[in-house]
Amino acid sequence: MLFAKECRKISGSLVFWIYCIIIALMFLTQYFSDCTEREYPPSPGRSAGDYDFKPSGDHDTIIEGTVNSLINDYYSNKYICYPLGFYKAVHLKDKDQEKIEAYITEITGLDHDKLAEIKNNCEEYYVSDGVHEYKEYKAEHIDVDTDNISYDRFREIISDIDSILGGGSDYAPESAEYNFSMIPMTYEDALEEYNELFEKDGIAGAYARLFSDYLGIVLGIMPVFVAIAIAAADRRSRMDQLIFSRSISSFRLVFTRYAALITMMFIPVLTEIIASVIQLLVIYNGESVAVEKMLGIPVFWLLPNLMVSAALGMLLTEMFSGGTAIVVQFAVWFMSIMRGGTVLSGNIRKFTLVCRHNTLYNRAQFMLHKNDFIFNRTFYFIASLAAVAVTAFVFEMKRGGRFNGIRLFGKDGILRRKA
Amino acid sequence: MVSGCLAKMVFSDVRHNYVIHYLTAVGILFLTPLLFGISQLDSILSAQPLEIILPLMGTVLMTPVFFPEQNENIRDVVRSKKTSYHLLCFIRIMCSVLMLSLFIGGFVIYMKSAGCNVTAKHFAGSLASALILGSAGFFAAAVSDNVIAGYMTSVIYYMSNFTMKDKLRVLYLFSMSHGRFEEKKYLVIIAAALVAGGFAVRKLMRK
Repeated sequence: MLFAKECRKISGSLVFWIYCIIIALMFLTQYFSDCTEREYPPSPGRSAGDYDFKPSGDHDTIIEGTVNSLINDYYSNKYICYPLGFYKAVHLKDKDQEKIEAYITEITGLDHDKLAEIKNNCEEYYVSDGVHEYKEYKAEHIDVDTDNISYDRFREIISDIDSILGGGSDYAPESAEYNFSMIPMTYEDALEEYNELFEKDGIAGAYARLFSDYLGIVLGIMPVFVAIAIAAADRRSRMDQLIFSRSISSFRLVFTRYAALITMMFIPVLTEIIASVIQLLVIYNGESVAVEKMLGIPVFWLLPNLMVSAALGMLLTEMFSGGTAIVVQFAVWFMSIMRGGTVLSGNIRKFTLVCRHNTLYNRAQFMLHKNDFIFNRTFYFIASLAAVAVTAFVFEMKRGGRFNGIRLFGKDGILRRKA
Repeated sequence: MVSGCLAKMVFSDVRHNYVIHYLTAVGILFLTPLLFGISQLDSILSAQPLEIILPLMGTVLMTPVFFPEQNENIRDVVRSKKTSYHLLCFIRIMCSVLMLSLFIGGFVIYMKSAGCNVTAKHFAGSLASALILGSAGFFAAAVSDNVIAGYMTSVIYYMSNFTMKDKLRVLYLFSMSHGRFEEKKYLVIIAAALVAGGFAVRKLMRK
């Protein structure tokens, strides 16, 4: 009864309909228009570089590529980083440069004098960086004896170097493993990847990942607006005091509202999942399509995005104001999107809110992060339920007159806002 | 006498209704150097922080112009005063534009002192992006009488600049980062039209 009432209330909200339009637009302009034709096998006879590139995962290649790049950056004392997806040129102080040198020595066995000698023989050139010109160095390729160092120790070192640089560098272990081990695919590699689409993904698995990638972007932020609009509606229509006086328990009220929000906001997503299944059955007519994957993966992937965004919106609106909820959720979403930088496939870590895998292929990369992905989605699912429980607790306190929102500057603090 | 009264009104309104928004804008301003490296940047790289982060201040300052009186009872009380409600809202938006100019101008000067190749064009371009982002939110809030719909519109517009940059044409916010400036004049014109349109709609709706 209350659930149906809440659903009706949400369906009458303008913000909810804007949300539906945005979800539909994202689906139609990004996913649906991208997937109007079936995938065809690669044609043989092209040169290796024409197919695509793939991370080899070979430890020797990674170590050698990383160290050669690091030596050039060390000589130039200019390290390009993207801490939040944006360009940052880092110039280290002497003390940190010494640490980098010590790490290079540990990996390569080259001491200070030998490194200085290589620097003297470097190709020097000037690059314009802003209004200044900088001298940069390009050393001859250095062969690294990878027997000198274990791969685990190498990972520790580059992780520390990334910390010294403030994060977001090419030397973060995951970035180094990706950037410095890329090799061109052969025809056989490309064909194998194509076959995986049918044999391992049952077609629908790959499309489900692409669908979830696109929809995950908007579901990481849009639900917060609907949640705020609904949470603030009582105050706006001066109904909050009336609701406070009702006999219904705070937990039942808040959780019912939350369930109604999630149900209503997931309906457009479900509709699009069904549209995607129909599209797949049409373009792969006659092939065996694992329909259950197109239903299961998006639900497991997208529901936590929706839940956490809505839960945070409800909690912060109840504790502070709607504006605070928007600012916080926008910051979380923005950082999650930008931290991935240009890595659009396999960008899944333990706490990435917006997981990215913007391709039908590269299944191996996705599977490499499978455990992180499962942990990640489960974590956000539980975290959102915990946030709703806290919201119910705050609501109960407000109801009893023990709490009236957080005032930043005392009793009549000017910073306290009501949505 | 009149100017003294106006100053008093502006001060009182800012104190009671707008301090939190100004503080949020200052927060964005201080966050920018943490997200971007802003020393010794050339003209194109300098445009990035000025176009990608600072325009968000427009959303924060221009969208909530009608927010303090969103409750109809409060709006009725404000309407009963001698000063026109729409004049009050117009003053708010002018104050927001002034503060945006000061914040962005201050940041451009800071970038200049850090050795970046920034000019008055960078200032104008960043301000234009902030104005269009803010006025989109302002217009949506005015039409829907719902400030959350305003914020939502502004955020959607901002997001679309990452996913649909080729389709936005003159509405593209980050053109300076690609070495272009022509779009900015259209942004200012459209922003002015949206603000005027927002007030016109409110007047027609007698809100």
